[in-house]
Amino acid sequence: MFLVASLAWSSGLGPVTAAGTVGSPGITIGEIDPLTGKLAKHGQEIHEGILYAVEEANSKGGIQGRKIEVISRDDQSLPDVAINQAEDLLYRYKVSGLVGGYVDSLVAPVSELAAKYHVPYVASASLQRTLTLGRNNPFFFRVAHLDGIVEPLCSFLEKVVRPASVAILYTATPGSTEFGQEVKARLIRSGIDVKVFEKFRPGSPDFSAFLLKLRADGVEALVCGGFFPDHLILVRQIREQNLSLKAYVGPWGVAYPSFVEEMGAAAERLFGMCAWNQGITLPGTETASEAFAEGFRKRFGKTANTTTMHGYTSARALIAALEGDLKSGGSLKGEDGSRRLRALDILTPMERLAFDEKGDPRHYRQVVVQIQSGRLVAVHPPDRAGGHIQWPAP
Amino acid sequence: MQLLVNSLALGSFYALIALGFALIFGVTRTFNLAHGELILLGGYISYFLFKGAGIHILWTLPPSMLALLGAALVLHAILRRVREPYELNTLVVTFGLALVLQNAMLVIFTADYRLIGHGRQFFLESLDAYVSDTQITVFLTSLLATLSVHFLMRKTFLGKALRATIQDREAARLAGIHVDHMTLIAFGTGGALIGLAGPLYAQTTYLHPFGGSEPTLLAIIVSIFAGVGRTRGLLLGGWLLGTIESATVFFLGSSWREMVSAMILIGLLLLRPEGLWSERSKPGREA
Amino acid sequence: MRKLSGSQMLTGGTGVVLMLWPLFVPGGDLYCRVLGWSFFFAALALAWNILALTGSISIGHTAFFGLGAYTSALMSHYTHLSPFICVILGGASGMVYGALWHFVFKPLRGARFALATLASVEIPRVIVDNWEGLTFGSLGLVGIEAFSGVQPGGMDLSPGESLKSQYYLLLFMMASYLLIHHRAVRSRWGWAMRAVREDETAAGSIGVPVHRIRFCAVTFSAALTGICGAVYSHLMGLIEPSLVFSLHLSAMPLVLSIFGGRYQIAGPVLGSLILYPLDQLFFHAWFPSAHAALYGLVIVLTLIHFPSGIGTWLQKKLT
Repeated sequence: MFLVASLAWSSGLGPVTAAGTVGSPGITIGEIDPLTGKLAKHGQEIHEGILYAVEEANSKGGIQGRKIEVISRDDQSLPDVAINQAEDLLYRYKVSGLVGGYVDSLVAPVSELAAKYHVPYVASASLQRTLTLGRNNPFFFRVAHLDGIVEPLCSFLEKVVRPASVAILYTATPGSTEFGQEVKARLIRSGIDVKVFEKFRPGSPDFSAFLLKLRADGVEALVCGGFFPDHLILVRQIREQNLSLKAYVGPWGVAYPSFVEEMGAAAERLFGMCAWNQGITLPGTETASEAFAEGFRKRFGKTANTTTMHGYTSARALIAALEGDLKSGGSLKGEDGSRRLRALDILTPMERLAFDEKGDPRHYRQVVVQIQSGRLVAVHPPDRAGGHIQWPAP
Repeated sequence: MQLLVNSLALGSFYALIALGFALIFGVTRTFNLAHGELILLGGYISYFLFKGAGIHILWTLPPSMLALLGAALVLHAILRRVREPYELNTLVVTFGLALVLQNAMLVIFTADYRLIGHGRQFFLESLDAYVSDTQITVFLTSLLATLSVHFLMRKTFLGKALRATIQDREAARLAGIHVDHMTLIAFGTGGALIGLAGPLYAQTTYLHPFGGSEPTLLAIIVSIFAGVGRTRGLLLGGWLLGTIESATVFFLGSSWREMVSAMILIGLLLLRPEGLWSERSKPGREA
Repeated sequence: MRKLSGSQMLTGGTGVVLMLWPLFVPGGDLYCRVLGWSFFFAALALAWNILALTGSISIGHTAFFGLGAYTSALMSHYTHLSPFICVILGGASGMVYGALWHFVFKPLRGARFALATLASVEIPRVIVDNWEGLTFGSLGLVGIEAFSGVQPGGMDLSPGESLKSQYYLLLFMMASYLLIHHRAVRSRWGWAMRAVREDETAAGSIGVPVHRIRFCAVTFSAALTGICGAVYSHLMGLIEPSLVFSLHLSAMPLVLSIFGGRYQIAGPVLGSLILYPLDQLFFHAWFPSAHAALYGLVIVLTLIHFPSGIGTWLQKKLT
């Protein structure tokens, strides 16, 4: 009885009327991110990036005068929740596009649902190969991929660091595992000795035994595919044990102003990677980048970082596509939106946004960054470098 | 060597986390799944005092302990209304409370990761190992706390009453012990112990609103492993666990850490179904 | 014609509504999906509760779930047998591990038993995680075959494709589990389990085959949980170790069962049917960031006011 009543009631809720001025209905897009749970930090950052993009567009008059509204949902890092919330957004709220997502195992089912509803989905932070190469989903796009991280990282190690031996530490998650395997394969191909190749469970509170092994094996460089919290512990313990490395590279979680702030002096000389940071932006986008950083600080009271930018960029892509669709007289049909996305080519501070037939970004490349005197300085590739490397690193 | 030093530090850390939980569980039979969140709370209090008012870390311990003592008493007030079956229901109720706390911390403290600054490290010639001052603090605090609780339990009259309550609530009541007072005391002391662990947790790992499940899990493992009501067992159990984990990582690799620990844990549970340091001669000791 | 009790009518009525509404309401995809999942978790809770009825509270059931999920998915991946067969195999692997539990954990009771169950999750989890050659390790398994179905007269009834068929599949699964659970509570086995739960020594002394009861309970519970895991892997299409060997999956059936009343036949079902849709359809929509707090609050308040679960209270109200 109760169930019937609640079903009837909630169906009566119907699609929520989108924000809009009288006479011109708004446009709704949906967002699904880990707003709570272990990945809440990154989920919130993506969320804020998306929100900023939407507000920015609205302040310029929206899309053809129509205001954009974004409905955000939490996926709790659980696939069944992600699917439920995606279904809710697509079915009840009839969103014209989906954006967001931090973990591949959630992005995949959501993208399949988006395909079923013929709604374009621009993922903010999906990395793995299987999501694009293994499938044919005309409604799925993403602004990042693993190669954009692995390639610069390997060229950095091969050409600049040139260590005698390397240790690769990665987490027991699909994205990090694929990362670890890719990096290992490339480094071996270029002749670098991968002495240690280990996996740990995220959330481990102690790496001291692992570090002992590094010392015993005389490893020169450490690549850690862990995330922000893992670096907090690992770096601290490296300092405590006085382990000297030629280079410590953390593609995720190091090149963050908040990391530098929390770690303080212990973060000096560490290498990280990012697609964007304030001051590290694509040549030609300096004004836009500064405007973004300042505007974001005014709006949210905190510093934007690379994850925020991923959210912002993915939302920008979607908004641009919807705008193009409406401008040419379209009616926000999903197929048209997808076609627009595929034809997109705009310059944003993080990357030159253009997608290939599979939905992968054509021009996504991160840069290697070093923390120097509490600031993030791009050091590789040479055409993006903003400073020289300070040796010996840590 | 260095491995042993690290293991002992890690183990002391585990024991410290488990102390508050063990005391509360032992005396009141409350299975507090919000334990980790309370530790984080202590950590956050310490963090903001440290960052905001520049108070030295050791001086943030008393305020944290006091605050958590209060929080534990609030918890007690809520849990008083829980009825039979007590253990299971408190498990689920504290599960719900943990969710509420997590979200509250998310709103108040934001999702950013925080940790309390990086201390100094020393090289001890005698041990041929590096030791950081955090490790020393954790080791000493854990030792001191365990010994104090042990002293309280074994040498004071209050302790006798507490132990009686742990052993058999009904019999204790019959013997004239004011069991409800014991519960209050257990919660208060447990809270203070949690408040002690919090700031050190923030120094050793990090703070995040949803990072409570790890310390809760550790507390559960160490407490049950050591046997209910045995405080010495906590420290020794913690050291054992820390050593096993570190040894596994060093010799086998990080990816085997959890499995080896689990197997040894199960093995020890089977070997001594009554507890790590039980006296077999005492019958009827239900863990 | 025997007069049906209030609770039986309620259960029957709800069952009829759940079965028939998709046929009369067009679309309704969202509700099919959310209710489908709540059926799934109800089944999981029922499976867990079968062991809990003997007094053994396990916090490691995700071991069976993960084993079932991986066995079924790997079988399907390597041998391309029908998913339905693979699911049975998944259940079997859960059952084997359950039997292992029984023999290894024999002397353990109470909190120590619970701890052992928790620890036992790590063994299959780490093995699956590290045996990359077989299981793909931490990368997880993608592209798991969905359930094939029948296509009578052009209608697509495959649960892999049609949401409605998925709904009915899960409803059927929950109903069968409910039947088993009903037998577990209301039969001689049920009484024996209750005796073991209340006082094991006394039960043994009056001739209850304690070990056999515990063995049956744990293997049944494990097999059913394993089947749940297997179904999950075919429904989702992709799995990874941290997903199917997660604490969340161990905690959920426990919370749902106790919330709904673990001594009631339909208690766990009630727990899932109330909490899950409430959370997914309403709490998430009202508070995208704070829904968990509301969820937790509901649990706390319910258990304080209804210490034996909502089901027990409902039962009293209807008789």
